[in-house]
Amino acid sequence: MITTVIGNYPKIPNRPRPAKLRNAITRFDSGEITLKDLKGVEDEVTLEVIEEQIDAGVELITDGMIRWEDGQTYLARGIQGFSINGLIRYFDTNTYYRQPVVEGDLEWVGPITARDYEFAQKGSKSPVKAVLTGPYTLALLSKDEHYRDRKRLVMALAKSLSKEAKALEERGVPWIQIDEPALLLNKEDFPLVLEAIGEITQDLQVKSALFLYYDDIEGLYPQILQLPVDLIGLDFVMGEKNFEILRKAPFTKSLGFGIIDARNTKRETVEEIVEKIGKIREIVPLDRIHVSPNCGLEFLPREVAYEKLVLMVKGVNKAKEVYHA
Amino acid sequence: MLETTTIGSFPKPDYIKKARGQFARGEISREALKELEKKATEEVIRTQEKLGLDILVDGEIYRGDMTTYFAELMEGLEISGLVRSYGNRYYRKPVVSGPVKRRGPMTVDWFLYAQGLTKKPVKGMFTGPYTMTDWSFNEHYPTRRDLVLDFAHQLHEEALDLEKAGAQYIQIDEPAISTRPDEIDLAIEGLQIVTEGLRAKTITHICYGDFEKVYPRILDLPVDQIALEMSNSGYDLLRLIEKHPFTKELGLGALDVHSHVIETKEKVKEGIKQALEVIPPERIVVNPDCGLKTRTPEEAIEKLKVMVEAVGEVRAELN
Ligand SMILES: [Zn+2]
Repeated sequence: MITTVIGNYPKIPNRPRPAKLRNAITRFDSGEITLKDLKGVEDEVTLEVIEEQIDAGVELITDGMIRWEDGQTYLARGIQGFSINGLIRYFDTNTYYRQPVVEGDLEWVGPITARDYEFAQKGSKSPVKAVLTGPYTLALLSKDEHYRDRKRLVMALAKSLSKEAKALEERGVPWIQIDEPALLLNKEDFPLVLEAIGEITQDLQVKSALFLYYDDIEGLYPQILQLPVDLIGLDFVMGEKNFEILRKAPFTKSLGFGIIDARNTKRETVEEIVEKIGKIREIVPLDRIHVSPNCGLEFLPREVAYEKLVLMVKGVNKAKEVYHA
Repeated sequence: MLETTTIGSFPKPDYIKKARGQFARGEISREALKELEKKATEEVIRTQEKLGLDILVDGEIYRGDMTTYFAELMEGLEISGLVRSYGNRYYRKPVVSGPVKRRGPMTVDWFLYAQGLTKKPVKGMFTGPYTMTDWSFNEHYPTRRDLVLDFAHQLHEEALDLEKAGAQYIQIDEPAISTRPDEIDLAIEGLQIVTEGLRAKTITHICYGDFEKVYPRILDLPVDQIALEMSNSGYDLLRLIEKHPFTKELGLGALDVHSHVIETKEKVKEGIKQALEVIPPERIVVNPDCGLKTRTPEEAIEKLKVMVEAVGEVRAELN
């Protein structure tokens, strides 16, 4: 059993710590600093949040996705054929993203996140995983003015992302995580997701994970075990029913066990965490479990996110003691 | 017909941003900050009069944010810290840690001050119960409904106080309504409590969401007017209205508040004319998509100038 996170980490802390990135972006927008200066601050903040995750005791971390304005545009800006449109709401959250618009044939023209991975891994004594928004979710959250066909768009994105995954693998990334929360909005599209994820992972040697959050997987189990990935991550906060659903068939992969609520400040207790681990232990052996928040931590203030990670690690350590894992 | 108004917030002038920072660091007193906020509010009123807008707002200069402001005044709420909403914009997200309760009127003094500066009507306005719930962390109430209903009863008192103070228009902002289509009934239930027995004209403002999933159900919101973001989505919403008539007054969002680009008069006129194809002019009020606080003061004025001119020309053509 190890501890991990899902993806993003709050970009700025609260007073008295300075909001370095926010200030730098404001100054960049008004022309006071150069793009190079801004990139420097992004690097500095990335190292800071790596340090915070390690300090909290998390074993498999991310770079905090500090450079990502949101889960979609950071990738879309790097793939040829996209333009970026106005703000729209991200799922049922009170956060917004600029909608990518597909205007032409999509083409991967070079690594988008690979340099970020290299930078993060160099600055971290713990393994860093790479996180990509999956082709299906990217497709659903974009506006398609070119393919006008969901399947063609998803597969075009899968091709681009498979090259990105390859570029990450070449740089030695230990885990590639693909996030597909949008599948839970349209479960009937599972066959398409299966094909698209296959396109990305077929030539990969590196460990791969697929995360599904903001809901349970009712109706998708045990089919999702067909996904060609090593680990499937699920949301046990907004999808508490997953506990029940997984009992229907043996869970044959590693499980991303998302039990810390990354969308509410209410702190979990060590006891609650231990209890949940006890519950999952009856379904999946603990040596195949990655304990994590249910989604990215950026919905929380930075200090609360950190505190929740500390509690998560405490809970997991306690559970290891209790269950002799 | 085709009256003009705005959604509520105006850009904060630099001296207000600076003063708010100084206040937060304890360098100036609350009174000193308030004096400056009054000055800026008066400027906003003068700006609107000069532009020729028909129904004015106080500009919300005194509010840090549309939920935080109320959270700081009510019992049962605290501020959790900064949370990013998009791009480089953050807000201090409230946490509900106990029963929510109004300590007293929250917007009435500002309404009275703004209304005292002008002969034109000023809207009374506050954030609705559904949005207050959706935009706070809930650490206390067992269900979201419990929290919405408690907020609704408290905000009903605020509406009554505004009416008593002379507000002819009461706007209840519910931008979060389009977030969860499955909770539209709850949003309606909350607004029902807030608007119960009011004689003033009631308005609700909704933005940024998938209207397809909540239309025509939003027409059951118990208010006289619904102000919607429209220009930002290329007036797509009008196609829904074509299929199912809009039975209330429409606040037509005709300026994209998230773009630096100043719309052309032709573009705004075109939007109004598209709306006129499905709703009669007596039932259309023209406003920006949303609050103007994210624009610079200059951009806000330029945009509104174009809007007022466009409305004037359409009115002339209709006569
Ligand atoms: Zn709005």
